[in-house]
Amino acid sequence: MAAASSSDSDGCGVESNEANLKWLDAHYDPMANIHTFSACLALADLHGDGEYKLVVGDLGPGGQQPCLKVLKGPLVITESPLPALPAAAATFLMEQHEPRTPALALASGPCVYVYKNLRPYFKFTLPQLPPNPLEQDLWNQAKETVITTMTTLKKNLADEDAVSCLVLGTENKELLVLDPEAFTILTKMSLPSVPVFLEVSGQFDIEFRLAAACRNGNIYILRRDSKHPKYCIELSAQPVGLIRVHRVLVVGSTQDSLHGFTHKGKKLWTVQMPAAILTMNLLEQHSRGLQAVMAGLANGEVRIYRDKALLNVIHTPDAVTSLCFGRYGREDNTLIMTTRGGGLIIKILKRTAVFAEGGTEVGPPPAQAMKLNVPRKTRLYVDQTLREREAGTAMHRAFQTDLYLLRLRAARAYLQALESSLSPVSATAREPLKLHAVVQGLGPTFKLTLHLQNTSTTRPVLGLLVCFLYNEALYSLPRAFLKVPLLVPGLNYPLETFVESLSNKGISDIIKVLVLREGQSAPLLSAHVNMPGSEGLAAA
Amino acid sequence: MGLLDRLSVLLGLKKKEVHVLCLGLDNSGKTTIINKLKPSNAQSQNILPTIGFSIEKFKSSSLSFTVFDMSGQGRYRNLWEHYYKEGQAIIFVIDSSDRLRMVVAKEELDTLLNHPDIKHRRIPILFFANKMDLRDAVTSVKVSQLLCLENIKDKPWHICASDAIKGEGLQEGVDWLQDLSTATTWKL
Ligand SMILES: Nc1nc2c(ncn2[C@@H]2O[C@H](COP(=O)(O)OP(=O)(O)O)[C@@H](O)[C@H]2O)c(=O)[nH]1
Ligand SMILES: [Mg+2]
Repeated sequence: MAAASSSDSDGCGVESNEANLKWLDAHYDPMANIHTFSACLALADLHGDGEYKLVVGDLGPGGQQPCLKVLKGPLVITESPLPALPAAAATFLMEQHEPRTPALALASGPCVYVYKNLRPYFKFTLPQLPPNPLEQDLWNQAKETVITTMTTLKKNLADEDAVSCLVLGTENKELLVLDPEAFTILTKMSLPSVPVFLEVSGQFDIEFRLAAACRNGNIYILRRDSKHPKYCIELSAQPVGLIRVHRVLVVGSTQDSLHGFTHKGKKLWTVQMPAAILTMNLLEQHSRGLQAVMAGLANGEVRIYRDKALLNVIHTPDAVTSLCFGRYGREDNTLIMTTRGGGLIIKILKRTAVFAEGGTEVGPPPAQAMKLNVPRKTRLYVDQTLREREAGTAMHRAFQTDLYLLRLRAARAYLQALESSLSPVSATAREPLKLHAVVQGLGPTFKLTLHLQNTSTTRPVLGLLVCFLYNEALYSLPRAFLKVPLLVPGLNYPLETFVESLSNKGISDIIKVLVLREGQSAPLLSAHVNMPGSEGLAAA
Repeated sequence: MGLLDRLSVLLGLKKKEVHVLCLGLDNSGKTTIINKLKPSNAQSQNILPTIGFSIEKFKSSSLSFTVFDMSGQGRYRNLWEHYYKEGQAIIFVIDSSDRLRMVVAKEELDTLLNHPDIKHRRIPILFFANKMDLRDAVTSVKVSQLLCLENIKDKPWHICASDAIKGEGLQEGVDWLQDLSTATTWKL
């Protein structure tokens, strides 16, 4: 059944059978005649009737007839022409009192048009710039700038439905914050370049952070009291989108990649896209606490990422140039996309859908859901729990003390081993050697093989001796002393000797192997060989 | 005499309580419909759309109704599915003017029909293509197409267009349930 209707099937790993069952196809109109980008889309309950509408700042075909459109479900319900191309659309609450219907702001040219109940309410115009004295003669009139980007910033409450200020970015490299009711300029900040994407978090009156992706390929981060950028992220390409996901700034660049940055500008990750990124937006699934980034690509894919993990791929019949996700109509998780050819696609996330990374389920493994046959709590268990609850601090301290003592003892033993060259690996940098011993045979005659290795990378080792220390009443060796040949770096040198067990009573002992440098009495390293008991009888 | 009373008189012959589940997406008009079915003196005046998960239950002689919204993201899902077992008839309400959510209604209906407590029972389903008075509303034929009702082969079903506010179309639906019961297709 899914095959015929769903378009997000086939292909790569994330698109398992599950994934193509994530979205319901609610509407597709290839001829909707909507030409826009993500910044010009906004969803809001504009009439306060619980039916969320879609606001579109439409460029018109070929950017010729800009207009403001409001859609209800699949239909355009109002359409009004705009004097200039739209730059951004936003919805926000202007005041505290009821009814709490959001106002709509549309930035276009040097103006922000504010609508309430879809009726024109206020027109804010950027202040005119003081003329340049050199140009005075030429211009003899004030210069005008335009708005390039716009977003909203909560005034003083963090609530979902708090009153918000409009934040504008302008062509003359400034950021303005407007009062939500009076539309006066509350603050002005300047940037080294023209801002094109804004991300704001926090509250204007308390503390906020503002990230502005600019035309010079840099992202500037400002704080409440900074008139100038505090941090700067230098992309090696132009930004094509900027989205804040929890505490991470996700930037899309013209190098077909997404980058994650901290709020201080530290790069966290990069993921490569299969095609150019045309547009980006945030996907927020409130019911599951999920925030992810959606990217519309030139190859007709919409990819959804949580950090660098790909969650889902949607294939669309035409490349998506604008998208937004949220409550639309009366359904919470609705994805609205418009395409290069002016089409409108509406998909609804299934209520049972869960996004998982790479097709594998995230969260607890299935074994975790299995019921264990846990025995009843015993008296002892209960007493123990009580004791742990009461004396938790003391127990933790006692444990820590013991742990430190253990570490101290281990360190001491290690030091002693190093000092007396008891270890099979030499500690001196000049004589990097490794020794291990193998005993073969059932007895009474054993073969003892020492494997000696020069672990330096370049220097050969010359003039080493091997000496065996053993109880002469129990063992006899043909020679207690060997000269070691030159050791070429890296090679393993097996040195063999026979060991005769003399005891008839099956007694076994340790044979100590010392590796010495000629003329020095302290061994370089040593090994204790635990001889096995003899299975055969001694000859004598 | 309310519509419901007429229904219960007929069904009352069975001397057994009949549980009717009234389901559908939020805002489809369930509460409005059920209010119209209630005995006239019990009809409540102000109907607010049901938000979140709430169950309305009421009884009238031999019929008991359980009404709930199929809304939300699965958190409440098993809460309402819990009621499937006891249901002996289903009234499924669709907002015929909500084109966008028709796919969601279909998805919920499919999930309902595939539920183990519903799947293998010949439980009758009455569909109300509600809000037929609205300009954006599609016809009941179209609703039945969009929901692929012709695929329901193992359960008696019926769809009728309704305007719950005026009470139009509800009678037709109730009549169908009555006919069904007298024809003893209702296996109670
Ligand atoms: N125009 C119209 N509105 C209806 C109809 N039925 C219900 N409504 C309205 O739709 C809204 C939701 O109805 P309600 O019964 O609360 O839906 P529920 O969430 O399914 O219980 C209310 O505002 C009702 O007045 C109808 O047939 N026509
Ligand atoms: Mg209700």
